[in-house]
Amino acid sequence: MRITDLTRRQGDFLLKIDNAYFEPGKIHGMIGSNGSGKSTLAKLIMGIIPADSGCIDYEGLTPRDITMTGQKPYLLHSSVYQNLIYPLKIRGIEPRAELVDQWLEKAGLQHKRKQYALSLSSGEQQRLSFARALIFGPKLVIVDETLSNLAPDGVRLFESIMEQQQRENPITWITISHQLVHISKLCDEVHFMEQGRLVQSGTPEQVLKHPTNPSVIQYLANTEVSFKG
Amino acid sequence: MNEPFFSEFFGTIGMLDSIRVTIIMSFFSTLISSILGVTLAILLERSTFPMKRLVVRINRTMMGAPPVVMGLLTYMLLRKRGPLGFLGWVFTIQGMVTAQTLIITPIICGMVYSYLVREAPRIRAFAHTMGANRMQTNLLILREIRNEVYFSVVSGYGRSISEVGAVFLVGGNIKNVTRTMTTAISTLKGAGDYYEGVFLGIILMLMAFVVQTLADWFRKEVREDENY
Amino acid sequence: MMNKLLTASLAALMALSLVACGGDTTSGSQSQQSSASGSSSQNEVKTPEDPILLMATTTSTDDTGLLDYLAPMFKEDTGYELQWTAVGTGDAIQKGMDGEVSVLLVHAKAKEEAFVNDGYGVERVEVMYNDFVIVGPTDGPVAYTEDVNAAFSQIRNDELTFVSRGDNSGTHTKELGVWSAIGVEDYESNPNYVSAGAGMADTLVMADEMGGYCLTDRGTWLAKKADFPQMSIVCEGDDNLLNQYGVIAVNPEKYPDTNIDGANAFIEWITSDEIQEVIGQYGVEEYGEPLFFPNAK
Repeated sequence: MRITDLTRRQGDFLLKIDNAYFEPGKIHGMIGSNGSGKSTLAKLIMGIIPADSGCIDYEGLTPRDITMTGQKPYLLHSSVYQNLIYPLKIRGIEPRAELVDQWLEKAGLQHKRKQYALSLSSGEQQRLSFARALIFGPKLVIVDETLSNLAPDGVRLFESIMEQQQRENPITWITISHQLVHISKLCDEVHFMEQGRLVQSGTPEQVLKHPTNPSVIQYLANTEVSFKG
Repeated sequence: MNEPFFSEFFGTIGMLDSIRVTIIMSFFSTLISSILGVTLAILLERSTFPMKRLVVRINRTMMGAPPVVMGLLTYMLLRKRGPLGFLGWVFTIQGMVTAQTLIITPIICGMVYSYLVREAPRIRAFAHTMGANRMQTNLLILREIRNEVYFSVVSGYGRSISEVGAVFLVGGNIKNVTRTMTTAISTLKGAGDYYEGVFLGIILMLMAFVVQTLADWFRKEVREDENY
Repeated sequence: MMNKLLTASLAALMALSLVACGGDTTSGSQSQQSSASGSSSQNEVKTPEDPILLMATTTSTDDTGLLDYLAPMFKEDTGYELQWTAVGTGDAIQKGMDGEVSVLLVHAKAKEEAFVNDGYGVERVEVMYNDFVIVGPTDGPVAYTEDVNAAFSQIRNDELTFVSRGDNSGTHTKELGVWSAIGVEDYESNPNYVSAGAGMADTLVMADEMGGYCLTDRGTWLAKKADFPQMSIVCEGDDNLLNQYGVIAVNPEKYPDTNIDGANAFIEWITSDEIQEVIGQYGVEEYGEPLFFPNAK
């Protein structure tokens, strides 16, 4: 996926990406301080908000191939099961029992299929949202700070699902996170955003271990504790 | 107040017919107002135009419009000399339903609109991430605020069965034809028969209670239905 | 979709209760019909082409139960079903001017004559009269009299409490006519003059509560006086207190779709000797005296 001359103004804030490339089939990490424009970029890619100018070349992906799951996912006022099969339903796909069971198990919700989704714990809600985003076989998944306030075993669950997906059927991921451990472990490429611009991209090794941009150095210094811990 | 007195008395006021008229009228008023109100709320929430804030404010004002004024307006519209006189709806249930629709539609529209303003953007964004098309998105929004829609409809229904001014003006309180339970109570009160009026009022409230209970029960059924 | 489902379900519920109530109503009216046909034969009466006759009338004919008493007999004799809306006199005449009803039964002679003269009505036919009485506290300052001038003057001059309908009804119009006839124009300067803006029964209740006087039609008074043991008639029998009811068919030249045949049938029927006698007897059994006095010519 290639982004060219993309701009979007929101009040005083200006997002401006001159040129960026997200290689298909890879896991891309987006880092940067709060308010740097990561979520805005995610919404632009998702198409939830329109760009002022510029273009995004999805390289053949249609809106139905792209999905996003956020920190506070929207859950239907219905059961866990109904939530999980919703993307299948709108695509007219019959929800096969084994597929549903498989994803319920991956998300650790196999015993809660009949439960009212909004009565789940926040961790369970995020896992349900994650499973729901993947069940229909998307080609590009944006994970917006889903991991930020998860317990360590929750993070490991997400990581194992992502790793399994990449082994079996690689898709493109854009994961926005402050957890540098997670980023460095999983991601094929890391992109650092600062004040609405993409300032450095590269492998985790290049960006996290040998940062060249002063903003990146500053950011890493501030988050060093959590990184090393 | 022994039993024979009551049975004779309620024959005179036309009680059974007033119950029948009330049920027919409130059913159609609520049905038409719900369809119109929900549709208008969706259109209003979806569209942007220069005077939108004004339109919303007018809607809010109409939610509190005095029924008797709406009734008078409807009467003037529907009377033979009025613009809709050709319909011949004065002193008919159709006429009463028209007046009530004018009263209840803004209430349902206003309530549903405020729920939509609060909920629709999130639901729309979510539907987009799921790849839903426009139609699926709208259905999802309605589905997601169904309890609120239901609540608005029940509020409209409550307004319909309790309303008296407009129904009196347009329907004429004709015994066995357009006399509703509320106008029957008003007639009883006018004749000084207070106890009988209160008695009929209690029946009216019991009816509202039964409908509410049935609706609640049904709603519960729906929710359990989905949890297969 | 859910919304439709909910609406449909609500519809189903209401329809269900409708069916239940409908059943009740049918059985009720059937039993009424059977008892009516049991009392006398109605074989000769043909059902008219347009069997519904709409009438606008004043609250007094409705509140006293006279119309409820007459309507089944009218149906039996002529086949017409009389339906009426009971409103204030002004409103009733306005409904005639709008052509919403086919016939009027009201008591406001001047307005009725204007209605006919303006071409809205065919002809004003006198039917009956009732009379007004002044009622008040039994042991109050106004002594029983047959002179309305004396009673009203005393109320005005001694600033006694007087509760007026104040609703532009026929009774209110009558009261204003009496004030005018006895030459008192400043009746509202009486600090104890209360304009209630209420119906007759409510006005009586107010007068009773306040220990004051009020003008009421005799019919309502007779029907309600059991509720007011502290009150009695202090003035009656004056010519100024008579209240003439007229019946008028709405002019079919103005409104061709009104039921002129039904209206004429009603006028002919209610002014017939037989029904005039029925009107004269109405209320005697219950109250010991008639509520209305027939005087059709």
